[in-house]
Formats: sequence, C-alpha cells, structure tokens
Amino acid sequence: MKRKKVKKYKISEAVSVIAHHLKNPIAIVKGYIESLLAGDCGDVNMSQKEYLNDALINIKEMAKTINDLIDISRIEEGGYKLNFKPVSLEEVIFQVLSDFFHWAKASNCKIIFKKQKKLPQVLTDPQKIKYVIENIISNAIKYNLDQGVIEISVSLKQTKKEILFSCKDNGIGVPEEDYKKVFTKFYRSEKALEIDPSGSGLGLYVNKAIVELSGGKIWFLKNKNGKGTTFYFSLPIIKSKK
Amino acid sequence: MPKGKPKILIIEEDRFLRKIYKNKFTKAGFEFREAISGDEGLNKVYSEKPDLVILDLMLPKRSGFDVLAELKRDKNTKKIPVIILSNLAQEEDIKRTMSLGARDYLIKTEVSLSDVIDRVKECLAMMELEK
Repeated sequence: MKRKKVKKYKISEAVSVIAHHLKNPIAIVKGYIESLLAGDCGDVNMSQKEYLNDALINIKEMAKTINDLIDISRIEEGGYKLNFKPVSLEEVIFQVLSDFFHWAKASNCKIIFKKQKKLPQVLTDPQKIKYVIENIISNAIKYNLDQGVIEISVSLKQTKKEILFSCKDNGIGVPEEDYKKVFTKFYRSEKALEIDPSGSGLGLYVNKAIVELSGGKIWFLKNKNGKGTTFYFSLPIIKSKK
Repeated sequence: MPKGKPKILIIEEDRFLRKIYKNKFTKAGFEFREAISGDEGLNKVYSEKPDLVILDLMLPKRSGFDVLAELKRDKNTKKIPVIILSNLAQEEDIKRTMSLGARDYLIKTEVSLSDVIDRVKECLAMMELEK
C-alpha cells in the first residue's frame, strides 16, 4: 500500500502557529487585568491591586517566554533575521531604565548609568537589541541582593571600532561550574531557580544570537571582589563616511 | 481629533477583546463599532464611515491584509486611517502592512489598553493636522 505523503512543516512554522494561539488568550487576560486595575469595574483596594499587579507581571512573563520560543525555533533553523537600522545604544538604555525605574526601586536596587558623550551609532535591530539590554538589566535586578547596586556603562572601546556595554551587579553571581552553560538554552543556576522559579532560561541564549548576528560578542566576568557578575557585549560602530 | 465623538471600528474576531475595547473606547468618549470578520468589517466601513479602523490580521473569511489592501484601493475609503492590532510580530508582517498603507502597528501582547487609546488619539490628531 502506498503511503500518503504528508506535507512537512518546519518546527518554526508550527511554533509560530501555536504561539499565535497562545498569545491571544494572554492579550485578553492582560487586558482584563488592566481594566480591573484602572477601576473600570469599580474601586480596587490596595491588596486587590497588589494581586492584580502580580498577575500582570506573570502574564507579561508568559508573553515574553512565548516570544523567546518563536525566536529560538528560528535561530535553530537558521531563519532568524534581524531588521538592521542605525541605533543609538544610550537611547535604548535610557528607555529600558525608564521602563524599569519603579521595579528597581521596589526591589531596593540602585542603578548607576555612566556613558561617554557623543557615542557613534551601531548597526543592529532596535527591537532586538532592546530585548538584549532589557534581559541583562532585568536579570541584574531580579537576582540582586537587597540594597544592591547595578552599574551600567556604555563607551567606545580603545580601538574606536566598537561600542562596549556593561552591566555590573553585586547579586547572586554565576557558580564556577556553570560558566560554560550560561549562554545555552534553558540554563538556570540553582540559586536563580530558588529566587524565580518561573524563568525559562531562554533569554541569554537569544541574547547571544542577537549580538552575534549583529557582528558583536557577548560575555560575562566574575567581579574582582567576588560578589556578583558583570555582563558585557560589544558591537561594531557604523563607520562615518569621509 | 474630529469634532464631536470620533467613531472607530474594530475588526476583531475575538469577542473578549472586542468586549474590553468596547468598554475602554466608550469610556474614553468614542463611538464604538465592531465587526468579527474581514467581510463584515469591509461592509461596516462602507456603511458606518468610521474616522479610524483598528484591524486584526488573522480574521475569518478575509484576512486583515486583504481588508487593508481593499480599503486603500478604494478612493472612498483610502483616507481612513487604519491601525493594525495583531499578535503577528514578525518584521515582514509589519513591513507588509505599512507598505499597504497602515498608519501604525501594535502588537496585542505588548501594548496596554491605554496605549491603544493614546495611539488612536494621536493618529486622529495627526489626520486633523494633515487636512
């Protein structure tokens, strides 16, 4: 008997369809929570507000994980594309810091941002590089210790060919035995799992792909005082036409 | 913003989303109209003549891409601003709708309800300035 040929779909296509179906209910639940928080269905007391805000944080995390899954399926199949545009990294950092301001404050984190004046632009995908910066800074906030300090800097490297981003925290750090796993899929240290069991461990893997597709490098180092970690990435600058 | 209550039409299959947007836009002072498919959406654009259309892309009967192309082809509707509100987040979808003439592209899971209202107001204000 002849077997009927079944059309083969790429995994990324299947993930994309499933993700679309998952995103719709997420958008609905998110909208309902926002509506309740805005008082559209009557007054909300402080403790109800707290619960609703927690629900909102978690639903946003779920949406992020779904986006990560779509990205990963495309990375694995070699079909991950960036939409390259000239980007000012300091502007992206300012935007992310403004989005995270209340969260950092609530987490008792002090954020210091140092930047050189008049930095050249880099050629990358503005949305994707924002994702990278959000991911690194949100990890620094999430895994920082109480009264933690996060130092973010962006500067032109001495070679004047690349921009260097760094984010130094004095948080839980990365155990030495895990150094090689940090940028692999689903990696989560035991301490990270204790603090935030809901994380997917996909962010840094996606970060690496984005930075490398932009012609850059991403890495981390243990801080010299033994407390916490500094994450770095560098991206080539756009050469000005003479 | 147009004088009087601006009229918006949302073309969205999902009844839960239509429900929250109806509530929000009505409270924000808009006249709200809704359609659940591409075909119904096009018919309502012709019968209701909204000031702005919010359009999903994955729709029954006729996709949002087709609806947008149709609206921009017709001289009677091509000036009505269309904001895409979709969960498709790939660059090619965004580029395709922008080249078809959409004014803005919002991703459902990434914007808040008030962001959507703000963008609609901004878009209507821009349209007034362009008149």
